[in-house]
Amino acid sequence: MATLAHPEATDTLLFGEGSAPALLRHTWIQTQRLLTRWVRDPVTLLETLVVPCLLLLMLDIVVGSQIEKFSGHSALYGSTPMVTLVGALSGTVASGVMLGREREAGILARFWVLPVHRASGLAARIIAEGIRIFAGTVVIICFGMAIGFRFRRGPWQALAFLGIPVLFGLAFATMVTAIAVFTAKAALVEAVALLSSLLMFFSTGFVPLAAYPKWIQPVVEHQPMSVAVDTMRALAAGGPVAGPLIKTIVWSLGLIIVFAVPAAYGYRRASRA
Amino acid sequence: MTATATTARTGWLTDVRATPATLAQWWVLTVRLIVPSVKTGEIITAIAAPLTFTASFYIPLNRVMSFAGLGFSSYAQFMAPIVILQACAFTGVSAAFRAATDAVSGLDRRFDAMPMHPIVPAAARMSSNVFRLLIGLVAGVIGTYVVGFRFAGSFAHTVGFLVLGLLIGINFCLGADAIGTYTRSPEATTQMLVLPPLILGMLSTGLAPAHQFPHWVQGFVRNQPVSQFAEALRALGGDPGGHAHPVTWSLMMPTVLWIVGTIAVSCYFIARQNLKRS
Repeated sequence: MATLAHPEATDTLLFGEGSAPALLRHTWIQTQRLLTRWVRDPVTLLETLVVPCLLLLMLDIVVGSQIEKFSGHSALYGSTPMVTLVGALSGTVASGVMLGREREAGILARFWVLPVHRASGLAARIIAEGIRIFAGTVVIICFGMAIGFRFRRGPWQALAFLGIPVLFGLAFATMVTAIAVFTAKAALVEAVALLSSLLMFFSTGFVPLAAYPKWIQPVVEHQPMSVAVDTMRALAAGGPVAGPLIKTIVWSLGLIIVFAVPAAYGYRRASRA
Repeated sequence: MTATATTARTGWLTDVRATPATLAQWWVLTVRLIVPSVKTGEIITAIAAPLTFTASFYIPLNRVMSFAGLGFSSYAQFMAPIVILQACAFTGVSAAFRAATDAVSGLDRRFDAMPMHPIVPAAARMSSNVFRLLIGLVAGVIGTYVVGFRFAGSFAHTVGFLVLGLLIGINFCLGADAIGTYTRSPEATTQMLVLPPLILGMLSTGLAPAHQFPHWVQGFVRNQPVSQFAEALRALGGDPGGHAHPVTWSLMMPTVLWIVGTIAVSCYFIARQNLKRS
């Protein structure tokens, strides 16, 4: 756990535990705490950094050449974005499980009775999640570039490209948090794993849209992972950006709006239990 | 009556022991695992998983794979074995989860202190795994049947297909049980065991024939166990167009050896973990 370098006894006297400086400071400390746990947990690190890279390599080996023959384009421009999104999702599940265990161990309740800003716990979780997804995305992109993925547009597009998994992952994290603070069962892991593999197999990042049967194409085209993949593909390889970008933002903000209130309420309830 | 008489003769330090009804104990512990999973509806995942695998492999890959030619009459016929194998692997992961939960919650130690044969708890876990495997197999066959898989071999071959599928599943579950008991961590085990089916499953001849892989990896793809299992199942399942390999000993032998070998290793570790009093 992170500790202050120079603890000052007067801190909470100068700023009340509910003040803005306290929020900033406490959020930063808790963010460090969560990131340190992530970096020191080999299983989570493996799950969020190594498994996605292996998945990308498998996809390239198994279906890459087939897709290239089928569509005439390199499959990497679909599979690399898709794998960054899958990595964001599986990391979200890992931290959902961790949140459940912290609730059961009573850590959340303990913070609640200490002079800690009420909002800092949830805020720190969101920021830590964002940093973790960003770091995971960078690692996967580096791996993708090693096997042939390139940013063909400018540096601004590349930067926007890196932002999409963060937005997408935060939206999913809101949903997982909302579920995890109410139930901390293995069923969460299985259900989200099943959901994310369905999202993956039925997205335009896995195989081109034309390869799916007609009746399922509308679903594949508009589901959240496909629109995010399409945005990222356009940002990396070229093509219309606006349409898929708007759909991605609508999906992400929609998920956040729907699940933010249950997540905040559940977090509060879990902290006081 | 006898017990009282003996107690009277030897005092409290009696040498009379309970006589464990091993079969009844095994049955009680098996029911302990099966009934709650049916009641909570958790068993639905055993049915849903093979159906999800069927849809997830068949719908996106059918055109992409058939487009280049497979040497088989349909992609459904080609990929049915990998659905069965993934269903077996899925059951294996939940078997490991169960074994790790029993180990970490102290249930194993408690059973050790009770008058029962030490292998009974593991045997009961295994029979509930077989129950899930049977459900998964049926769901897998029905799922692939819907997309176009047909048993085209003789009756004996069809029975062989189902028995081999079950044996491979038992094989996975035995290994998973040993791993789960060893790690004593349900979450870590589940996450660790997701990786091997992913890599071995995709990097096998289950989804695409070996010649469609890059040259440098073809040797591994052909000879790794999942490919051998898939080839054996594919031969037993047959092909309506007659494109399947004939069922010969040279084709089946690697599969048989893999199964016998891994079952022997798993049984050794399960025996070692359970036959010692902790």
